[in-house]
Amino acid sequence: MLEETLTDQEAYFLERVDRGDRIEADDWMPEDYRQQLVRLIAMHAVSEIMGALPEKEWVPRAPTLYRKLAITAKVQDEVGHGQLLIRVAEDLMRPWGKNREDIMDDLFTGRLKYHNVFHMATPTWADAGVIGWLVDGAAVITQGMSLSCSYAPYARALQRIVEEEGFHIQHGESICMALAEGTPMQRAMLQDALNRWWPALLMFFGPPEKNQLSTHQLRNIRYRIRSKTNEELRQRFFSKYVHRIWSLGLTIPDPTLYQDPVTKEWTYAQPDWEEFRQIVNNRGPRSEARLGLRSTTYQEGEWVRRTIALSPTAG
Amino acid sequence: MERWTIEDVAQNPERRQLAAELLWQLADDDLLMGFRDQEWLGLAPHIEEDVAFGSIGQEEIGHAALYFGILERLGFGTADDLASLRSVSERRNSVLIEQPNGPGHYLESPRYEWAWTIVRHYLHDVWEMALLTALTGSVFEPLGDAAEKILREKRYHLAHQELWMRTMAGHDADSRVRLEDAWRRAQDWAGDLADLGPYSSALESAGLCPGVDSVVRHYHERVAEMARVLGLPEMRMQTRENGRRGEHTEALQQALDTLSEVYRLDPTANW
Amino acid sequence: MDERLDFDVYEVFAQSDSLSPHVHVFNVLASSPDMAMALAEENFFRRAEFVSLWVVRRDQIHQIGFHDREGFQKTPKAYRTTDDYKYLRDKWRYYRDHPMNPDGSPAAGGTVDGTMDD
Repeated sequence: MLEETLTDQEAYFLERVDRGDRIEADDWMPEDYRQQLVRLIAMHAVSEIMGALPEKEWVPRAPTLYRKLAITAKVQDEVGHGQLLIRVAEDLMRPWGKNREDIMDDLFTGRLKYHNVFHMATPTWADAGVIGWLVDGAAVITQGMSLSCSYAPYARALQRIVEEEGFHIQHGESICMALAEGTPMQRAMLQDALNRWWPALLMFFGPPEKNQLSTHQLRNIRYRIRSKTNEELRQRFFSKYVHRIWSLGLTIPDPTLYQDPVTKEWTYAQPDWEEFRQIVNNRGPRSEARLGLRSTTYQEGEWVRRTIALSPTAG
Repeated sequence: MERWTIEDVAQNPERRQLAAELLWQLADDDLLMGFRDQEWLGLAPHIEEDVAFGSIGQEEIGHAALYFGILERLGFGTADDLASLRSVSERRNSVLIEQPNGPGHYLESPRYEWAWTIVRHYLHDVWEMALLTALTGSVFEPLGDAAEKILREKRYHLAHQELWMRTMAGHDADSRVRLEDAWRRAQDWAGDLADLGPYSSALESAGLCPGVDSVVRHYHERVAEMARVLGLPEMRMQTRENGRRGEHTEALQQALDTLSEVYRLDPTANW
Repeated sequence: MDERLDFDVYEVFAQSDSLSPHVHVFNVLASSPDMAMALAEENFFRRAEFVSLWVVRRDQIHQIGFHDREGFQKTPKAYRTTDDYKYLRDKWRYYRDHPMNPDGSPAAGGTVDGTMDD
């Protein structure tokens, strides 16, 4: 939407956004706003759906009865977040005659991306711990920002999600704490997992902007869909977690990581952003396997969905 | 009525042994049922059902933890050791429960079968409903208390499976054929489910499980009633391996290898 | 009386701000959704404010049955809350003051520099 050619309707809409009004699903909204929201929320939804899979690998293998219960509850919550978000996205797509089937198709054909972290391998139990502690920790930082989103149904869903993430993070912390305080074998497992996940955690927030915001970002900020830059969120992540990681005697695989005592700004080694682009384009270590797993079971379940659907969907 | 506490049972070798025979069956059935349910997590056919079914599997593991907890208090070792370290021949779950959800490994390309999953779970839930109802009157107080609590969730699980059975039976030819197929396959494995094993009469006479015969009869009546309502053939349950006597199929070994993989790295470590 | 006047019951739900869920308020007798809406406003919101109002004809509401409700009295599930993890707070505080060495042993001296934001 170009600001100089606003219709009255568009001007009124932006005025509402500016004064902090929340927009509801059946309020009038510019098509551009709807598109930005669908793009963001559908990606968030499939990231939760695909994001259940890396930890799911450890659900049946969790070491104790207690951990088995907690990690099942945690992964179930992730699927539940997928449900909340896919419902919000579906309501937005309704005027286009689309629904969740289209979102899943877009995921399987690669038109719709999911978060880089969920393309990564999880070879040990410690990976499940690090995901809970640090990946969910990173997610809460970005989702916390989005609570102020101008689109009310998304903000309401995020409110539920962020509340549950509190449990997820502590579940992850608890696994990592037990490993850190455990045997040399357990500590080594944790350190290896941290080494594996560090670059992915930095990538999670997206490339630094260096004062150059993309058009998507500018629009999202204009519409109050998001309010912080990638780099601001990554800096917040460092401030929250680096000292905790160090306090457990763990080594962060970046000898240049440093916080300026005056500005509090962190400097760090950039991850390989070309690799990031490869990963999110479904060329990560586990992209193919997990998409294959999800799409096979989705196809296998088609007859079940037909059994509970109102009428067969065309196509 | 006489009620036995943990101490009453722990200090009497005969009672202790007998109570354990029953608890192994309950604990192992629920652990394996929860394990099979968990394999669906994140992969169920409908996202809302994924979440709902996720609670059921979780609760099965929770019930197993309650039973293993009683065994721990009776001095059989820690609940986690009991869940993870016992060998196949020590397991007392029904072979029906250990069967996979379908071909394929849960990490690679599982071809899980929803109708089979529901029918098998349904039979498990009917059996447990019947058994737990009797166990609320068990002479062993901690078991009676656990049964009382677990029953409330069981009713809910059973209602869930029954709803799916009715839905599949009534939707169209395809879903009906799948349901009938699963129903027929279940009868090949279901024989040892409603069997309390070699100690059945001793469990009854000790008052640990009152009215064994009527528990079994209730189970068969409820299954027969479902068959009649849905127009399914009468289920003729076969026993091949009898899990209540420690006889199992290959599927159990694979399941145990997976569920204890991390714990076995170091069973003395704090996880 | 041979003939009683009959109305539909409408259940009223209101949302106090846009981040909150709609909450059940009470019910009104009315003959149409429009009428129910108009009546609900004046009956229940003479003082309180709302940002959204729903009216639903009662026979359109499906209620959970008594026995199903019992199923929601669950066995304890502390494992799915933060209740069981309260001990972590003290641990973090302890390791801030007594950080571990890379081999897991306690470090000789000093705290980890910097803050651990909550």
